[in-house]
Amino acid sequence: MAADPHRLADGGRIDRSRPLRFRFDGRDYQGFAGDTLASALLANGVRIAARSFKYHRPRGIMGAGVEEPAVLVELEGDVASGNRPATTVPLIEGLAARSVNAWPSARLDLGAVNQLFARLIPAGFYYKTFKWPDWHLYEPSIRRLAGLAGAPKEPPERAYESRHAHADILIAGAGPAGLMAALVAGRAGARVFIADEGTEAGGALLNRNLTIGGQPAKDWVAAAVAELAGMENVTHLQNATVWAYREHNLLMVQERAPGNPSLLGRNWRVRAGQAITATGAIERMMVFQGNDRPGVMLASAAQAYVNRWAVRPGSRAVIFTNNDSAYAAAADLAQGGVGIAAIVDSRAAVPDHAMALVPDIAVHAGQAVTSVHGRGRVRGVSIAPCIGGTARRMPCDLLAVSGGWNPAVHLYSQSRSKIVWDKRIASFVPAEPAQAVLAAGAANGAMGLGDALAEGAARAVAALAALGQRSDVPALPETDDTPYTVTPFWTASGAGAKAFLDIQNDVTVADIELALREGYSNIEHLKRYTTGGMGIDQGKTGNVNIIGAVAERQGITPDQVGVTTFRPPYTPVEFGAIAGRRAGPVVLPYRHTPLTRWHKDNGAVMYEAGARWRRPGYYPRAGESFQDTVNREARCVREGVGIYDGAPLGKYEIKGPDAGAFLDWIYTNVMSSLTVGNGRYGLMLTDDGLILDDGVAVCLAPDRFLISTSTGNADPVGQYMEKLLQIERPDWRVKITNVTSQWANATICGPKAREVMAAMGSDIDLSPDAFPFMAFRDGQVADLPARVVRVSFTGELSFEVNVRPRDLPALWEAAMVAGAPFDIAPIGSEANHVLRVEKGFLSLGHEVDGTVDPHDLGMSWVMSRKKDDFVGKRSVELRRASGRSRRELVGIRPLDPNRQVPEGAPLTPGGRKEATEGFVTACVWSVVENRWLGLALLTDGRARIGGRAHVRLPDEVIEVELSDPVFHDPKGERLRS
Amino acid sequence: MPYDVTITRLPLRALFDLKGRAAALEKWCGTALPPFPGRPNSRTEAADRGLHWTGPDRWLLMAPLAEEAALATALRADKVPVDLSITPVSDTLTFFAVTGPDVAEVMAVATPLDLHPDSFPPDGASWTEAFGIRSAIRTIAAGYEIAVDRSYADWFEESLRLACT
Repeated sequence: MAADPHRLADGGRIDRSRPLRFRFDGRDYQGFAGDTLASALLANGVRIAARSFKYHRPRGIMGAGVEEPAVLVELEGDVASGNRPATTVPLIEGLAARSVNAWPSARLDLGAVNQLFARLIPAGFYYKTFKWPDWHLYEPSIRRLAGLAGAPKEPPERAYESRHAHADILIAGAGPAGLMAALVAGRAGARVFIADEGTEAGGALLNRNLTIGGQPAKDWVAAAVAELAGMENVTHLQNATVWAYREHNLLMVQERAPGNPSLLGRNWRVRAGQAITATGAIERMMVFQGNDRPGVMLASAAQAYVNRWAVRPGSRAVIFTNNDSAYAAAADLAQGGVGIAAIVDSRAAVPDHAMALVPDIAVHAGQAVTSVHGRGRVRGVSIAPCIGGTARRMPCDLLAVSGGWNPAVHLYSQSRSKIVWDKRIASFVPAEPAQAVLAAGAANGAMGLGDALAEGAARAVAALAALGQRSDVPALPETDDTPYTVTPFWTASGAGAKAFLDIQNDVTVADIELALREGYSNIEHLKRYTTGGMGIDQGKTGNVNIIGAVAERQGITPDQVGVTTFRPPYTPVEFGAIAGRRAGPVVLPYRHTPLTRWHKDNGAVMYEAGARWRRPGYYPRAGESFQDTVNREARCVREGVGIYDGAPLGKYEIKGPDAGAFLDWIYTNVMSSLTVGNGRYGLMLTDDGLILDDGVAVCLAPDRFLISTSTGNADPVGQYMEKLLQIERPDWRVKITNVTSQWANATICGPKAREVMAAMGSDIDLSPDAFPFMAFRDGQVADLPARVVRVSFTGELSFEVNVRPRDLPALWEAAMVAGAPFDIAPIGSEANHVLRVEKGFLSLGHEVDGTVDPHDLGMSWVMSRKKDDFVGKRSVELRRASGRSRRELVGIRPLDPNRQVPEGAPLTPGGRKEATEGFVTACVWSVVENRWLGLALLTDGRARIGGRAHVRLPDEVIEVELSDPVFHDPKGERLRS
Repeated sequence: MPYDVTITRLPLRALFDLKGRAAALEKWCGTALPPFPGRPNSRTEAADRGLHWTGPDRWLLMAPLAEEAALATALRADKVPVDLSITPVSDTLTFFAVTGPDVAEVMAVATPLDLHPDSFPPDGASWTEAFGIRSAIRTIAAGYEIAVDRSYADWFEESLRLACT
């Protein structure tokens, strides 16, 4: 096991009494509690920790937090997850990780061969493979070589949880601004939800040596955290990233180590009255040749490693900056024992307050690093005057860079709020909120500590005021931060194919220049062409540099270039955390009828049959094939009697003085003329004049109707009716009540259905004259209160017996007992499908596919000519006025009666490889014709009945005869019997 | 570490869907109903009957199943005036009691409804969603009752139990 040669003897926020073993890329190391994987790797002297996305260039740790662009790792074992910046992975005992884009390891990566072909894969090469010769030629190798971590192969042993929360004020970030906002809002009694991505609160204060109120800033942080912990109205999470800002102030928070040990992670969906983004700022890179070499690190990160993790990231450093913040970093590095070769500052003049921080360090103003020396790691740099001149070489093993600070406006931008260019800090800052959001501290461009505290307090007061709560800004403590000034320095002299603007996506200055040459000057186009600022990184370190580089090359200002859209997630989020417990057996809702147990006990094969209902597909008996079973069940209905579970059928009661008019409006035919006890089949259309649903309306009383809908459309039809009423006809007095689950039916069907009904016992006169087809009766069946409807979906005599679901098992048992002498058998949806196809009845999802109107299905009779209007009427008439051909329902019989045709198969002219002229909507083995037959939608189909059509399959053409779509009992005598 | 919560599937109860103006319903139903709730998403109780304000001009009457027949007689659902609607819906919902020290944890997983006492006081009752499906929630002594369409009951119970583990 390697020692920690770079670990400082004391200091930092690590616990040296708790050593932790871990494994990275197959090697064993040791760190301490309080370390991140990144700090532990640096402490162990690991310089090459990753390979780049595209060119597989060696990369080292560059950041110290979520901004880390280079070292993404895949965690293994119980905490398996992918694409985690090593800087955000808290070290735990036994942690196993590996770099995501390297094989077999980051140090020895076979993919590094890509560097030899770098010239062949510039910006946009991916798109160019679409053009010539064939994308599929390149696709396999591109997919293999590019990319990030793979998904874990096994589900995690522990679970994720997804939960909801509500807050008056959500605060993203627990740095100085966020903590101060939380204190003010919490003290005022507001429900506060504060979440911070760090393992500890404090943000940048943990990485720096500042004071608040004359005390170390870390003490102020500890006191603030303790005070918040004592407030019942405050929820404070650490290691929890606010990763998305959705509509209506809904924010997503991923908590990575919730207190519940059975949980691997937790996702919060927080609805906030007000949101305060106190997300700090992210330091940007400097852009010069070789700026991605291991050993190049953000100055703030180097400072953090020394101060927070007691790690020396190098022994001799050069600092390259264009702003003041790097001077404090240089001072802290020197304090930590890192030799500072020089500070190279691109500004012509360095402010005195910055110089005062580094009295013993050489400062080269007006100079820039132009290149890095060393292959696998930094061994030196060349610096040259910015205005041009001779370069000179300076040995070092650490190059700490600071290109200025970008407010972390990601969340603010995700809320669709506007951000604008701020010349003062040379970056984008929040400007106009689109939701109830405020920005505070560095996230708002206030780079000083005192400003951050003041803004945190002020934003909390403003948020409270917006919630109707008055409060005052408290007295603020003194701070010792130094001013921040910056002069943009976008690209160094000679920056080209190895000067990286977007480290994570391997986007270089040369790529940007190529894109501009090829005409992609709009920043949104350029982003997509080069992939700069896309993906996991979301432009944290590179976005503004890209904008600056483009501006520099086009001779315009960055605000003229504009900014691209920031998208969630802000940091990688596991899908498991989003799904929570909605996985495995409950991933999708399922619905049971009161008879599910009976069906399963009696051997039914259960299907999902629309709207998540699980229904019996068929009831196989010993020795039967699937087709044997379906044939037996279908014959049972055609020749004897069958029973099926119709519980899922959608049902609504429509009541009120305008109920009849309402039904006339939503159905194509007239329903208002129904007399009590009678029903009528009808179709509903969409506004587009296409069939929405079919069903039966029966009249329960003069102002009260019961309508049925298809199973799959029950809820949509209910919503549709409510929408029509509430929006289109708010003046109509109609009340709609969903009774789908109040009435469950068992349907007894077949020539012997009446005998079975009689045997069950009923006070309803079942004779054909007293209880004709499409009639409805209230009464008792098998001593149970029932609503019986004489409708038929099979083409046979049929009684749909509706009872309360609590009574359905008893009704079913009674039917089975009473029907036993008649060989009654339960039938599933497969046999029902056969029966309805033989009868030529439509089915939603088969013949009704969202493109047909009633005329297409030969149902012109259902389109009332008496009514002035109904939903969809005008659309149907307009469309048909064009005279264009339509696909019409026909019956099909394969010439070979034993040839099954796949449902959905296309019909083409002559079976040739031409545009389809229709498709097969259904094909079943008919028990009345003892052959395969089916239905199809065919262009001008009705006029072609008697002729032939051709089903085109991949390997053959099946010729079919065209017929009327009703194969059985075309006069309807059996169902009316 | 499982949450300390008890999930109990409750037996059927008498439910009546009422639609119409409160005054008109009150006049028609008389003493069969508890007083009408004074604000949306709340309920009133009288004896063992509860009246829930579930939407504009929409109410849900709840009582023990043993009272179903007597209530049906008293409410005369099939004779109500044209501008009212009274529909028996006892079988439509399956109720679950979610109780225990960690009930807030499980409810936060189940539903986006804000159950903070300031937003959902002890007399709270509301349609909302739970695990993505339409649900009715009301407070009870040691937690909450959630009702879902009876067809989802098995799936919903499984979801609740998973949320507890």
